This record gives sequence, structure tokens and C-alpha cells, in this order.
Amino acid sequence: QVLARVIMVHLAHLLMKNYHGGHVAIRMALGGCANRPFFRIVAAYNKRARDSKYLEQVGCYDPLPNSHNEKLVGLNIERIKHWIGCGAHVTKPVEKLLGLSGFFPLHPMTITNAERLRKRRALKAIAASEEETPGD
Amino acid sequence: MAALGVPRWRCLWRRAAAPLGLRRPGRALLGSRGYGQDAGSEADKEKSDVTKPCFTDELVQRLLSKMTGLDLQKIFRPIKQELKPPTYKLMTEKQLAEATRKAIKEAKELLKMPPVLSEREPIDDVLAEDRILEGTETVKYVFTDITYSTPHRERFIVVREPSGVLRKATWEERDRMIQVYFPREGRKLVPPPIFKDENLMTVFREDRHEDVLNLCIAQFEPDSANYIRVHHQTYEDIDKHAKYDLLRSTRHFGGMVWYLVNRKKTDGLLINMIQRNL
Repeated sequence: QVLARVIMVHLAHLLMKNYHGGHVAIRMALGGCANRPFFRIVAAYNKRARDSKYLEQVGCYDPLPNSHNEKLVGLNIERIKHWIGCGAHVTKPVEKLLGLSGFFPLHPMTITNAERLRKRRALKAIAASEEETPGD
Repeated sequence: MAALGVPRWRCLWRRAAAPLGLRRPGRALLGSRGYGQDAGSEADKEKSDVTKPCFTDELVQRLLSKMTGLDLQKIFRPIKQELKPPTYKLMTEKQLAEATRKAIKEAKELLKMPPVLSEREPIDDVLAEDRILEGTETVKYVFTDITYSTPHRERFIVVREPSGVLRKATWEERDRMIQVYFPREGRKLVPPPIFKDENLMTVFREDRHEDVLNLCIAQFEPDSANYIRVHHQTYEDIDKHAKYDLLRSTRHFGGMVWYLVNRKKTDGLLINMIQRNL
């Protein structure tokens, strides 16, 4: 009985709005200028356009490195926890970022891509060395 | 003020005579200055130097503030503000006394001494090692927790290196990130070149020690290496040229006296104070 009431309270606003079967998503909204992207990590309804009205901004991500060769990511951990507690879905790029930050465990695709890259580089290295030896 | 001046100086002389006369190790000797009780004063500023005589001891603070003096003319000297024509008010004697009292109270607020802390320990704490990620990135990722309600000291700022190591950010990185997301007035992202050693010498030649110290307080954290270095250099320079009057009625005076007493270089200062009071 208590559990039902808790769920009801949290999702009440979802039942009242116009999106049937929609949900809240934590995703990246693109902003910035030409050749200068800038992402805001945002909690928004799933059905909304990417850059339009969101429920709350929960962080930011700058994909271009700064003068100290760093990519800056700001995350409002307390609010992310709140939205996840309310049943928000998290998109893959945000999941990967959170995995890199240590808040989530490392995303499996990050590891998979790293391994693939490594294999490709190893193959290239072997191919390059094979080319050199007959060329001698 | 003259009546108060003499006994102040005398009690100070007796206390300060101890560091000059006796050859005791630096720390234990300052037991004469503070009675080593726990700090009673301002809870928000944590200034603890040694176990026995603390910067925050009531007695130490009272002595230091007495020595700083209360030259109203100098404290309320016009800071660079917008130009306003002076306003003249007609007051009775009582109102004038009241206004002076309020001015003294405000002056005391302005004279609150900035904290004196020991240098902070460098952070190197590795949270995770994921060598699988080595070579995927050429760039560091710096993750900052932007929760508004956490104090800056407890904020999580974490760096993922291109080698895949997840470590806590160093103090410089922390300061920079906090300035990016929570900008503070008067603080720049890159510390202005005035704080380099060569430029400090130029500033000292122009007798602008107070301005440098104010800029330093705005720019750096009280326990950062740069803050301590700039302060020490300023105090050294003042001591070398005996320019104690520059800091007389400012909030840096207490810190300077503390520094000189800790290094037992109080001769010049004492001579200056004797001359002044006479």
C-alpha cells in the first residue's frame, strides 16, 4: 500500500500531461554556434524536440578540449539521482559519460569500442611490419 | 588614544621581549603569547598555526588588533569607486559621537584578519584503474559535481586520464573548475601576472603592498602555495625596508606580525612601534 502511494506521488505529473506512454529522459541538448557544439545534459520529456523546453538542466558537456587539453563535464549529481529515482531513462551518450565519470559503472560499449580499436591498431601494426620486411 | 597607547605598548613589550631574549625553539617559545586554549573567536575562519599558540586565540587576536591600530582616516580612505560629490551633514555633538561610534564599528568589520593556514597537502588519490581504455582518447575528461548545496571543499572533481586512470583532481584543477562553474567576484581563471616574482618587485618599489595583498586574497585560497608565497614575500620586503606603516591600519597587519614573530624578526617592528608611540 505504501509502495503504491510512493509510485503514485512521483509519477503523478506524468499521468496528467499530454504524452501518452512517454517518459522523462536524461539526454543531451545541442547548443552553441557553427563549428562550435556545446551540449547541455537535460531532463526532458521523451517526446519533446531535442533542443526545446526541458524540465530541468542537469549538467553540461563541452566536446572541444580547452587550453589545458581537458573536456569539461559538469554534472548535478543530486538532481540526476532525483530524476533517476523518478524513473527517468538515460540515453547512451549520457550513460557513457556517467560511466567514464565513475558515477555509473563503465558502459559495455566503451569497453567494446576500446577493444575493437586496439585490435584494429594491432592488425595495422602487423600489416605495416609485414610490408616493411618484404620491401627491404 | 594616547592614554591607551602606553599600557598597550608596555604589555606588548614584555610579551615580545621573550622571543628576542631567550634562545628557545620557535614553537614552544610562543607559549608566552597565547595560552594554548582552544580558539574562541570566529567559527567560520579556521586559522591554526601551531598546537600551543593559535592564531585564533582570543588573546592573540586582541593583541594583534590592538597593534593594528584604528586609523579611521586611512581605513575609509576613498577606494576606487564612482565619483560622488561629498555630502555635508549638520549634526549636534551627540550625533557626531554616534556617527564616530558607527564608523568605528564598521572599521572593525573591515579589519577582520584573513586566515593564516599551513600549506595544503597535494591530492593524489586514484579511484579506478581501467587500462582497457588506454589509447581511445587523447584528452582528459574533467567531471565536476555542480550540486549547488555542497560546500566547495567537499565537491567531487574527478579526472579521467587518457590512460584510463580515474583520479581525484589536483588543487589547481579544483580551483579552476570551481571558478568556471561558480565564478567568484575578483577571481580570474588564470592568475594575473602581477603575482610573478619579477612583477612583485616592481609593485614593492611602488609601495603598493596593500593592493597586492588584497588582490591575492581575492584570487587564491588561503591555504594554497601561491597565497602563502605572495604573503611571505610581501612581509619580507616590508621587513627589509621597514615600511610597517603601509599595513598599519589594514587587516593584513595581524598576519604580518604573526609571520615576523614566528621567524623572530621582530626587531625592526618593535623599534618602529616604540618610535610611533613616543
